Amino acid sequence: MKNFSKILSKKWGGLTLWGSLIFLLSFYPLTGASGIQLFTATQIFLWVILASNWNLIGGMTGYLDFGHAVFFGIGAYTMGILVTNSSLAFAPKLSFWQALPWTGISAVIFALLIGWATLRLKGAYFSIAMLSTFAATREIVRILRPLTGGGSGLDLPPVLNRPGEYYFMLITMAIVVSLMWWIRRSELGMSLVAIREDEVGAEMRGIDTTFHKLFAFAVAAFFTGICGAFWAWQNTYIDPDVVFFQNRNIIMIMMCMLGGLGTVWGPVIGAVLLYLLQDLIWSNLVDYHLLVLGVLLILLIMFIPYGILGALGNYDTASIVRIFKTSNKTKAKIK
Amino acid sequence: MPLLLGLFSVTAACSSKSSEISDKSTDTITIGAAVSDTGKYAREGKDTRQGYDLWQDWVNNEGGGIEVGDRNYKVEIIYYDDEGSPDTTARLVEKLITEDKVDFLLAPYSSGLTKSASAIAEKYDKIMASGGASSDSLFTRGFKNLFSVFTPAQYYTESILKALSTKGAKTIVVAYEDTEFPTNVAEGTEKWAEKYGMEVLAVETYPKDTADLSAITSKFKSLDPDVFIGGGHFNDALLFVRAAKEQNFNPRAMVLTVGASNPKFVEEMGEDSAYIFGPTQWESTMNYQGQYFGTSAEYAQKYQEKWGETPTYQAAGATAAALALHIAIDKADSLDTEAVRQAMKELDEETFFGPINFDETGKNIDKPMGTIQILDNQIQVVVPEEISLAQVNYPVPGWKEREDNDSVASNSN
Repeated sequence: MKNFSKILSKKWGGLTLWGSLIFLLSFYPLTGASGIQLFTATQIFLWVILASNWNLIGGMTGYLDFGHAVFFGIGAYTMGILVTNSSLAFAPKLSFWQALPWTGISAVIFALLIGWATLRLKGAYFSIAMLSTFAATREIVRILRPLTGGGSGLDLPPVLNRPGEYYFMLITMAIVVSLMWWIRRSELGMSLVAIREDEVGAEMRGIDTTFHKLFAFAVAAFFTGICGAFWAWQNTYIDPDVVFFQNRNIIMIMMCMLGGLGTVWGPVIGAVLLYLLQDLIWSNLVDYHLLVLGVLLILLIMFIPYGILGALGNYDTASIVRIFKTSNKTKAKIK
Repeated sequence: MPLLLGLFSVTAACSSKSSEISDKSTDTITIGAAVSDTGKYAREGKDTRQGYDLWQDWVNNEGGGIEVGDRNYKVEIIYYDDEGSPDTTARLVEKLITEDKVDFLLAPYSSGLTKSASAIAEKYDKIMASGGASSDSLFTRGFKNLFSVFTPAQYYTESILKALSTKGAKTIVVAYEDTEFPTNVAEGTEKWAEKYGMEVLAVETYPKDTADLSAITSKFKSLDPDVFIGGGHFNDALLFVRAAKEQNFNPRAMVLTVGASNPKFVEEMGEDSAYIFGPTQWESTMNYQGQYFGTSAEYAQKYQEKWGETPTYQAAGATAAALALHIAIDKADSLDTEAVRQAMKELDEETFFGPINFDETGKNIDKPMGTIQILDNQIQVVVPEEISLAQVNYPVPGWKEREDNDSVASNSN
């Protein structure tokens, strides 16, 4: 296992492994996998993307975003509105592919507007602000009935294509994780980690922290928005409660914590494991699954605060406790 | 070598298992259902499951199976827990179709989950019978495989408004929760009000999980309407009644779309629940009967014997949905999806649940919505007249009047 972790931390090791994995996965639908198998795999890919995106802002930059699923919702609703044209006079009804770029773009615009305000906050204050953004957006969507269908939501055209969905998520996942790999090695990634470790220090050394934070936030929002759009399409209907689902925030964070915060591969490993674990718990311990997840969260923080990769000796990881402490310290310094 | 042996035994086990299944499936109709066992619809999910189970037991034992051609089939329902989540529902329905290879599907409880489930059923062209969904938007998506025995949401208040208008009610106010089902009910209400010549004085919405509705009732009080129509869920019903009493808001009739027909409502509100109207899909006191389970009361008795509790309308709806599928298979004399779908569309049957007659979109268009009124702490069906035992009580006494009556009664004691 230690060797595995070493391979991942070699310069090209992780990416080569990743490329091979994607290559192998691309044959899966050809092996006669059933709709449900493809569907399950697609859900895992979706979570890998969501966790990787959260990791960019939460793990690498150290801004613990408790409301990241808001971008998922923005993406889902942009898709829903554009393809159903609920009562829009100004735009024609779009197809999935025509609507897709707009879902990412609307999430980015939303991220820039929100981030511009919330990214000035530190530590727990940022987390709370994002959680409130999440809840507030859900209620706003509920009120904007002419556009969003209010509490009744929107019905999307029920076009389901499991192999197509599989490849779409596989490719998006390949792009997102490779991008994370590149970011982590680039100057941008170094700057983000510097912000996490000591924001004032980073600022003093000439890093434009505002720009870097906003950039990371926007990238994370873009792909989360795409995921939301995809989910809306796949689920064929959306309403405020299924789209702005509180647990989605928590699961994303737990996946990163399980794998290893701030690393490229941690969220990937964490997402796959936690998804499978949840499935296992659900099928065997239905009545206790929330309890089991809660206990797991406590165990994680107590015994492997640096996640699986951290436990295997990868020193890039950060623990959620340390991130909180550092960012609160920074706040004290600014005062 | 041990590995090889192990592999061999696994393959052997698999092949013996699959042959066993195929032998069995020759005279078994398998039906799949993803129904909530946990999550927010756990309670209704349990009723739904018990309703389906009652039908299964009845067909296999008393009914002696279903005859198709010259073969006799038993039925087997495969259940999964959808956890009340649309993601899980979609996955499980797909699993039922692709892995368990079920012949037909029964729907989950709630319109939202049925939306997820029916999209998958449509994709694989499997018939899905529903006894737990009434939102109108389910039937505007152009699906040809979804059939629901419930009266659609927009008809919820039709029968009571008609009855009240003949008794002289002229004005109404409406308040509803801003989610799918109550919205459908409210939209229908405005339509029926117009049809029966009543004036809608005000329409208010409120968000889900509201803890206080007194702002709405105090506004309505100043309008002094004949009829108040309100609701979303059980808790809202309690809140409305409490707020109305506190503020001495006295509509001549109070109709709560969900909650009033639930026996827990009377338990919770006691005397304050008196005279409240509530639409209901089904009550065991309704005067329906059919070939299969006998009368509504006989059905209720069977249910009581099996489960030790009285059936809710969710449970009865579930049984009726499965029964509709059963009758359609019987009529089609085939298990072929196309043939059974055709039979479903042509179905026109009196049952313990009321008439079942699906239109092109899969809605049950013949079943009227019943309405109950709480009289002497009893849930009494008052509308429609053909199937009811009690009379509509309108206009109902105001809160002050009831207190005075009580004090007169206690003084005279």
